[in-house]
Amino acid sequence: MTDIATDTTASSPRRRLRRWMREPIANILLLFVILQLICIAAALLYPDEFRYLSATNVGLLMKAIPILGIISLGIGILMITGEYDLSVGSVYTLSGYVTAIVFSAGYPVFVAIGCAIVAGIAIGVINGLITVRAVIPSFITTMGSMLVVRGIVRWLSEFGSVSFRPPAEFAAIFTGSVLGVEAPFLWFIGLAVLAWLLLHRSKLGNHMFLVGGNERTATAVGIASKRIKVIAFALSGFAAALAGIISISRVGTATPAQGVGLELRAIAVCVIGGLALSGGRGTVLGIVIGACLLYMVEDVLLLLRAPGFYLDVFVGAILVVAVIINTWMTRRSSK
Amino acid sequence: MSTREMANPAPPLLELKGVAKQYGHVQALSAADFTIGRNEIVGLLGDNGAGKSTLVKIMSGVEFPDSGQIFRDGRPVSIRSRKDSERLGIETIYQDSALVGSASIMRNFFAGRELTKAFGLLDTGRMNDIVMDQLVNVVRISGINSPDIPVEALSGGQRQAVAIARAVYFKTAMLLLDEPTSALSVRETDKLLAHLGELKQEGVSAVFITHNLYHAYERCDRFTILSRGKVIRNLTKAETSVSELNDIIVKY
Repeated sequence: MTDIATDTTASSPRRRLRRWMREPIANILLLFVILQLICIAAALLYPDEFRYLSATNVGLLMKAIPILGIISLGIGILMITGEYDLSVGSVYTLSGYVTAIVFSAGYPVFVAIGCAIVAGIAIGVINGLITVRAVIPSFITTMGSMLVVRGIVRWLSEFGSVSFRPPAEFAAIFTGSVLGVEAPFLWFIGLAVLAWLLLHRSKLGNHMFLVGGNERTATAVGIASKRIKVIAFALSGFAAALAGIISISRVGTATPAQGVGLELRAIAVCVIGGLALSGGRGTVLGIVIGACLLYMVEDVLLLLRAPGFYLDVFVGAILVVAVIINTWMTRRSSK
Repeated sequence: MSTREMANPAPPLLELKGVAKQYGHVQALSAADFTIGRNEIVGLLGDNGAGKSTLVKIMSGVEFPDSGQIFRDGRPVSIRSRKDSERLGIETIYQDSALVGSASIMRNFFAGRELTKAFGLLDTGRMNDIVMDQLVNVVRISGINSPDIPVEALSGGQRQAVAIARAVYFKTAMLLLDEPTSALSVRETDKLLAHLGELKQEGVSAVFITHNLYHAYERCDRFTILSRGKVIRNLTKAETSVSELNDIIVKY
């Protein structure tokens, strides 16, 4: 056994790098770094025309990325188990409403966010239980809950607009900054590390990959695949609720239309980041890079003063190209 | 069969008595008896629809019988889930060898039985070492140089080897092999059959389902032949031949 051990340590770093280079994540990371270098170079060459490195722009990016990024982490975990959640946009909006309404009713701020998080997890668990018990596609379950929750938000909004003005010490948790890094971005990075530990380093995460890769086999080796899926749905609801809290802490008011379309953008982030639509494949790094990449492209187009419709065109094109590259790479790496 | 049992005072490793299973109107198994002893490879034979797979599913805990009893070492047991059969030391290797293609060798090897450090975090280093040690020293397969390779990149024979290495490592008492050779090349089949012999030396019994009577005859000590949900014959290798087995299966 000792000589095998030395053999693998001697050759494994290079071999591991070569294998890693064939993973979808390697391409996305490479694309991201190249784009980043081009933007930085352009910003240094034309600091007045292209304000990519200006403090305002960097700060804006660090505030914008986390909302979608955190939702994408939740949906990404769920997609790895082979399911979807279209209700995250609605849950995100509901969470803001619940926080604001409970706080306005005179309860402490932590009770308010506690209620919002419990609501998010509860919707996730309901989505999960319906999906695994009734054995129906989660696409349908969560499309239903997306509409139901959106309806609830509309109903809540009929009681007038809601605003959330928490005490300054509390607001700092979600809106402050540490050494120039915006608090939401720190939350995003912290949650990404937790998601990485969960998915790539924990027993539960291993079960999630196995369930998503082949549910029948996972069940055959004794994994409670239905329970694993319900946990993943709950995490997706939790992430959407947390994103909603961070958002309303920053913006201060909630409107019913806020979260519309977020679910598709979150799925786009995951797909760009190399998650397989069929489940069982994906990395947390991919989700993080996917979220950054999506906003970076939008940001660059805005800085170049491109007309608004270009945004959708570019995001759509990147999505399709990313999936083509990922599919191609996955096919190659499995050979 | 009764003489064999009387000659052998120790209770069999696993014994099924009067097991029946019905799917809708189809009687997949009716009052089937099945026995497997220690250090024994039993061939489960029969044409399509004879009830072989149902019997394997009942032993592996995927299906629960409508009636009948199961004994492990003479003690009555109930196998209601995969976890139950795992506790009894029963491991199933399906046609697709029960591995998840998109996951790595190591993650498949320890699927559901991961080694962890504090906080439920995986002890990947130790698991990697164990997997490589098992693959290289126990099943002795070549061409696998890392535990991180996804299983879908392996050949059919390599996948079977991973599944067998897993069974050996987790001290399985009995392997259930449902058509293990159907997707294998001739050379890989040879290797698999050789593995079964080696496993027997190490005290692992096996139930071997196959349509290939030559493979079955080569490796099995005893044959149980099913037809339309009933056990019709029990023969030891010494008292039969390939052509006789073939005749029995075709005739019923």
